[in-house]
Amino acid sequence: MAPSDHRRPYKRPAISDQQRRRDHSLLRQAQNRLDAQQRARCLASSILSLENPETDSVPDLDSTTGQEQS
Amino acid sequence: VASVEIPQKQWPELISTLLNNMNQPDQPASLKQATLETLGFVCEEISHQDLEQEEVNTVLTAVVQGMNLAEHSPDVRLAATKALYNALDFAQTNFENEMERNYIMKVVCETAMSKEVEIRQAAFECLVSIASTYYELLGPYMPTLFELTSNVVRADDEAVALQAVEFWSSICDEELELQDFESSDAGESGSPHSCFIEKALPALVPMLLETLLKQQEDQDQDDTIWNLSMAGGTCLGLVARTVGDAVLPLVMPFVEENIKKPDWHCREAATYAFGSVLEGPSVEKLSPLVSAGLDFFLNLMKDENSHVRDSTAWTLGRIFELLDVISSENLQKVVMVLLESVRDAPHIAEKVCGAIYYLAQEFEDAGNNSLLSPYLTEIISSLLATADRTDSFNSKLRTSAYETINEVVRSSNLAESSQIIAQLLPAIMNKLQQTLDLQIVSSDEREKQSDVQASLCGVLQVIIQKLGSADETKPAIVQYADQIMMLFLSVFACHSSTVHEEAMLAVGALAYATGPGFLKYMTEFSKYLQMGLQNFEEYQVCSITVGVVGDVCRALDDKIMPFCDVIMELLLKDLHSNVLHRSVKPAIFSCFGDIALAIGEQFEKYVRHALPVMQHAAEVCAQIETTDEEMMEYGYQLKRSIFEAYSGILQGFKDTKSELMVPYAPHLLQFIELVCNDKQRDESVTKAAVAVMGDLADALGSNIKLLFKDRVFYIDFLGECLQSDDEQLKETATWTQGMIGRIMVS
Repeated sequence: MAPSDHRRPYKRPAISDQQRRRDHSLLRQAQNRLDAQQRARCLASSILSLENPETDSVPDLDSTTGQEQS
Repeated sequence: VASVEIPQKQWPELISTLLNNMNQPDQPASLKQATLETLGFVCEEISHQDLEQEEVNTVLTAVVQGMNLAEHSPDVRLAATKALYNALDFAQTNFENEMERNYIMKVVCETAMSKEVEIRQAAFECLVSIASTYYELLGPYMPTLFELTSNVVRADDEAVALQAVEFWSSICDEELELQDFESSDAGESGSPHSCFIEKALPALVPMLLETLLKQQEDQDQDDTIWNLSMAGGTCLGLVARTVGDAVLPLVMPFVEENIKKPDWHCREAATYAFGSVLEGPSVEKLSPLVSAGLDFFLNLMKDENSHVRDSTAWTLGRIFELLDVISSENLQKVVMVLLESVRDAPHIAEKVCGAIYYLAQEFEDAGNNSLLSPYLTEIISSLLATADRTDSFNSKLRTSAYETINEVVRSSNLAESSQIIAQLLPAIMNKLQQTLDLQIVSSDEREKQSDVQASLCGVLQVIIQKLGSADETKPAIVQYADQIMMLFLSVFACHSSTVHEEAMLAVGALAYATGPGFLKYMTEFSKYLQMGLQNFEEYQVCSITVGVVGDVCRALDDKIMPFCDVIMELLLKDLHSNVLHRSVKPAIFSCFGDIALAIGEQFEKYVRHALPVMQHAAEVCAQIETTDEEMMEYGYQLKRSIFEAYSGILQGFKDTKSELMVPYAPHLLQFIELVCNDKQRDESVTKAAVAVMGDLADALGSNIKLLFKDRVFYIDFLGECLQSDDEQLKETATWTQGMIGRIMVS
């Protein structure tokens, strides 16, 4: 039978710096990915405004769907 | 044999054959002992579904009878008690029956008072297991159990006393889990919280405080030691977390009374007790105590006894970790004491590193005029000197010193510290070069080299990420990029997975800092990327490598194309693997998006391979168990990553090849709808969903007008997002609304 080992962490720091390094990298990568995708979307917005120079703001969804329904 | 055959019902007579040995009064004791040992082994190996309730009943009867004092020899009773330990998981039905439960508990408690130490220890092990398995049924037995454990902790052999303390630690574990569950689930708890610790507190805490005075001379130097004072202090920490403020009036008089006594045991117990109760009680109650005592603890770092200094260093670390007590008035003294103490014996220096780590963390969001900035040079120099110490017989002190440097760098204010960090960079590079120049002969030396390299790659990663995070400080990295990359490539050539992981993380940060300039390293580096993507066993390495592929994509844009065939092939293999840990898979889908966004229309050749896998994964998401919290979290990651993949692909194809995605649009929109219908969804999933919906409309335009017209769920979904308090979500939802609006009027 396996002996029961109830030894618990003793005077040890609760966090691991290795995990912190991983987490920081993941956070940076997620932020960089978001920035890259948002840049692509901002570009889209500027093209949209170039295509529709007379449109001051983005079309209102409710009114457009309203038009579709009517 | 039983572990294989019993679950398959291929050995139905085993249990009855064994029990037959027990039921014959004239059988020799040795046979009964061997039979009970065998029953114990069998119970340990099989799951409780493998036995019929009738078999469980007879096994328990035989085992509990085997524990009977009057009838059996010590050897038989010991074997029976150990067998009961393994059979407890099976006894659910029997524990639910009050009469049977009373009987089992009576026998276990009697056995816990046996004459023989080993039997008492085994009985207490049973009680520990009962505490965690049958917590909710323990109420009526608690007065007896308190008396039993209390007597044992105060007067019994240490092996038995350790189990008695562990019984209370297990009760704390159970109550903490119930409290966690209650706080996360708005008070609706499945099982009742019996507040055993709170009720026992006035007697339990003094009992634990007594154990703290039973230290051993060498306990701080030897990691293999586990004794009563260590177990007692650990249990006291759990008690503090369980009951909070109520522990303080019971502990503080002990601290005050003992901390000035001439006997070091008393001073160490006092400082250890104080450090143990810092997590749990409220900041309001603790802050005045800590503020009043801080100076005293700083002076205790000069105590003549090393155990006292060791525990005080740990307590200071806990103070800085858990409370905000540093001010412009006391910081100088704190830093001076810590930098002096970091030269103390290795085991103390390691705790001091921990204290500096948490001290630095207190200043993480300090902004400009960080109080710590004037001390950075001195702190980093001391930590480098600590890492170079030769008096530590293992590598823990060196690792702690480097990890503390990491936290100091991460938490520093960049504007105030960039020059200091920039000077640290060549110093660390130099140390890494030295490890590569070493002549390695033995495996011990190789292991040591690998440890040091891992630590140094960690520090480099943190420095690169810190200096790479602002345009003004990026040049400090870029000027050394060639040399840094040469070092990393040499480290990869050393072939150790721990080092690979650290070096890979650092390379990702370097790719971000260098941008397109990273291309010149790709020919050499790509073979290590491939190795990482194929490392199924050490999935963390694989996962990190997948993230680094994303970094490289963003750094190189379409210049990554020559390397994409092999990368995509390996990523697809990873997704199809049954061996690879599931946590890597979401990262791979996000990476598809990174690759597609980088190479644009050139992603066309991967569509017929990648899209079916994404569609399959989306279907898997729909079937994920929503009652399992861990699976739900995984489901969110998977959903978010699939959306990110679609976003990257749609954006990449937008200008020239968007028609390629038309056949996949209905499935994607259906998946978005499914995700939207889950009202509990994580906000990160909502953000990715609303963004990909905009990308779909943006890329495919009027091609999918009918599709949106048929599925009106998006109107409510956009409405929900637009009402959010999150500005970023509202901004993306507004953009998506514009994109959909545009195709609807077209």
